[in-house]
Amino acid sequence: MNDKNRLEVLAQFIIGEARRLGASDSDVSISTWSSVDTTVRLGEVEKLESAAEGRALTVRVFLGKVMTSASTSDFRRQSLTKLVRYTITLAKAAQPDEFVGLPDKEDLAALVPDLDLYDPITAKLSVADKVTMAKACEDAARGLDPRITNSQGASFSDSHGLTVYANSQGFVGSYTGSRCSLSCSVVAQQGDSMQTDGWYNANRKLGGLGDPQVIGRIAAERVLRRLGATRGKSQDCPVVFDPVMAAQLLGQVAGVAHGGSIYRRTSFLVDKLGEQIACPELTVLDDGLIPGGLGSRPFNGEGQASRQRTFIEDGRLNGYFLDSYAARKLGTKPNGGSQSNLYIKPGTKTPEEIIASVKNGLYLTHVSGPGFNGVTGDYSRGASGIWIENGELAYPVQEITIAGNVLEMLKSIEAIGNDLEFRSSVASPTLKIGSMMIAGA
Amino acid sequence: MSKPITPSQYLAKSFGLTSNQLERVLGIAIGSRDKGAFADIYFQVGVTEGLVYDQGILKNPSRSDVSGAGVRTVIGDKTGYSYTDHVNVTNLAKAARNAATIAQHTGSVPPIQVGPDRAQHNLYPTAGILIGLPLPEKVDLLIRIDREARKFDPRIKNVTVSLSIQEETVVIVTSLGDLILDRRPLVRLGVSCLAEEGNRRETGSSSGGGRVDFEFFLEDERWKKHALKAAQEAIGLLSAVPAPAGEMTVVLGNGWPGVLIHEAVGHGLEGDFNRKGTSAFSKMMGEKVASPLCTIIDDGTVPGRRGSLNIDDEGVATGNTVLIEKGVLKGYLQDRTNGGLMRSGSTGNGRRESYRHVPMPRMTNTYLAGGESTPEEIIRSVKRGIYAVTFGGGQVDITNGDYTFSATSAILIEDGKLTSAVKGATLIGNGPKSLHNVSMVGNDMALDEGTGTCGKRGQSVPVGVGMPTIRIDGVTVGGTSR
Repeated sequence: MNDKNRLEVLAQFIIGEARRLGASDSDVSISTWSSVDTTVRLGEVEKLESAAEGRALTVRVFLGKVMTSASTSDFRRQSLTKLVRYTITLAKAAQPDEFVGLPDKEDLAALVPDLDLYDPITAKLSVADKVTMAKACEDAARGLDPRITNSQGASFSDSHGLTVYANSQGFVGSYTGSRCSLSCSVVAQQGDSMQTDGWYNANRKLGGLGDPQVIGRIAAERVLRRLGATRGKSQDCPVVFDPVMAAQLLGQVAGVAHGGSIYRRTSFLVDKLGEQIACPELTVLDDGLIPGGLGSRPFNGEGQASRQRTFIEDGRLNGYFLDSYAARKLGTKPNGGSQSNLYIKPGTKTPEEIIASVKNGLYLTHVSGPGFNGVTGDYSRGASGIWIENGELAYPVQEITIAGNVLEMLKSIEAIGNDLEFRSSVASPTLKIGSMMIAGA
Repeated sequence: MSKPITPSQYLAKSFGLTSNQLERVLGIAIGSRDKGAFADIYFQVGVTEGLVYDQGILKNPSRSDVSGAGVRTVIGDKTGYSYTDHVNVTNLAKAARNAATIAQHTGSVPPIQVGPDRAQHNLYPTAGILIGLPLPEKVDLLIRIDREARKFDPRIKNVTVSLSIQEETVVIVTSLGDLILDRRPLVRLGVSCLAEEGNRRETGSSSGGGRVDFEFFLEDERWKKHALKAAQEAIGLLSAVPAPAGEMTVVLGNGWPGVLIHEAVGHGLEGDFNRKGTSAFSKMMGEKVASPLCTIIDDGTVPGRRGSLNIDDEGVATGNTVLIEKGVLKGYLQDRTNGGLMRSGSTGNGRRESYRHVPMPRMTNTYLAGGESTPEEIIRSVKRGIYAVTFGGGQVDITNGDYTFSATSAILIEDGKLTSAVKGATLIGNGPKSLHNVSMVGNDMALDEGTGTCGKRGQSVPVGVGMPTIRIDGVTVGGTSR
């Protein structure tokens, strides 16, 4: 029997045990994986980390309107029976919550589409192959310029996993997925200035990573342009978010659009459904069905089918991310739960054109610290980047902060780039925000 | 009370492993002995119980069981690591073979240094009764907290109380002959309040805990303090005005604001970054890196503290390490590998998130020692600035030294007096430079309530921070008002 069948049978065993021990409903999520991280530093292998048979399992047990859950990596049947028994005991001591329960049956995925999430090639790579790629990447970074004096290493990581979900309504589904990534981080020095930066790519498939040397060269270029950074001055000015920073901002906005933040009313997006929350050019999509997407999944953690959703349409807030609990609580329908592949629809301007449109402002490449209040939308973060003067990247700045309110920031978006690329499950093109408060020297 | 279980008995009972089998696994991990390799096995068995009381309902009581082991081979600065979620001798041997493959990529090196021979600590209760405590007793406390917070002000519209109780046993076996067991309790209580008035909404939070019994929250009515603090912060923020932007004098309250020390100095003094020369503090040993008022210590031996450990995750007894003494850089935080390579030995700071992770130098409880000034004197001394007491987290760029830490609320100081409440803002500075600007240090040193979690290279570990009230000049405050 292969892993898929074996684990589907195991999931059904647990559901059977839950029923036998008195649960009215139950569901089980199982994941198993193997992974290898290969790290090279200064041209030599520094670290080899691996997991041969990683595994984890979560069971949720419902006793009428009470829900409890438990997770374990001990897959022995005897231990699982014990765990289910414990979970039911815990449920007996807990309180009912009228919105608790499995999803409605008609919301469950009818079939498990093949989304092309697995690449068999990476599993066959030897350590030597991975070392070669990591070395090529680091060498390209270190070789670009003599000011690159040190390295934090280059890593090739790959993982392969199987996800199984089953519930007491009869749903059983599973799918396999793979992921590989190549990253590199180097240190550059010039006079008193020492800086680090890096670059990476990640993909479901080895073929999607691109040339290791390109990743290395980008890492080197990114660190070199930080050398000699000075403190920017306090002022109000436009801020151009590079695609990585823009994706991070998008992730923060979506992070408070989840059911829990909405029904608790701890989100600045509460009561804003249908309202204009951003400039009319901004459309944000979430699509769990992109073939080979890093966030793609045939079904979510509750067995509901993935779908395409519009989070923000022409600047209007179109929906939240609701699982079945949150949906019931808010008196609406679930829509696939947490985000999958979330992205801003690209615009028409090149990043160069966007930068050229700024007379005096910041090209943002790094932020740091938590600095985001999801309840109010207030945003204040440590920052560094390149100062833009007369439409050109002029000199690096660091040790400044950027601040504003996310609602105002979204409304003041003045340009959306055409440079959308997925290297994680949240992606954005370059964004120009009309005005933010910079604090510095 | 029964006699405590020995490490060998524990491994036999939990996994059916004999000492011969352990020897064999270590033998595989070490490989041919002429390379000067070090090997260890880290076993971890733990249970975490989580309770959330939210919107007047106990939500999803949950339990998480953890059980596994990681095998490591270290040769000089090279590491091989592999873990298993299913501990038996076959899987351990397989992990050991994986770890040992690092030997193919190394030459021979001098053997790694042994950790210092320190006395064992006994810093926390190890009776192991936390999870067994009946649920209603715990739920009752959560309900009392909810009521207390709502009672504070009718504008408190929701309260979320979470309680996490963890009991964990680790056993570390090394090729140097160590065989050590540590039972580690860890509890944490968190309260978050939502205040609403008109169309304005704000949240406040408070949390605490440590390596203590559940009773800890009942002592001195700690639970009530968390409830009130969270409620007070949320209500206070309803009328807060935007924080100022630009350079100014900042007074930081005692306790949790010590996150400044953790970010500005702590990370930059971790041994791995300094061995590799990637820290802004690299090669600054013996130099003046802070004002003479600053003495900074990392102490893993404070009883019951969240950041404390009897032994670190490499089996070395934790210690008390002076990092900065009167402004002069004195020490780094070391694990076995980096301490060995830098010829200084481990300081007992080798930590890891779990058996799925490789240990590295990490902080325990890191604090700035107390000084002479009273907190009142410090506030009185400021003409215009902000007084920040509640903080979220922070972050640091090790290499250029820039660090940030984020106040969740603050109060303006005008002519030596606390005036209006201001919204949260991020504070930014540069590690090796900004502590020169510490101009007053209070006599009210306190560690935080036991709430912090530190992230490094994707691994999270519980830590403590601490500080007296201090005054720093020329800090950049990232507000929105000019």
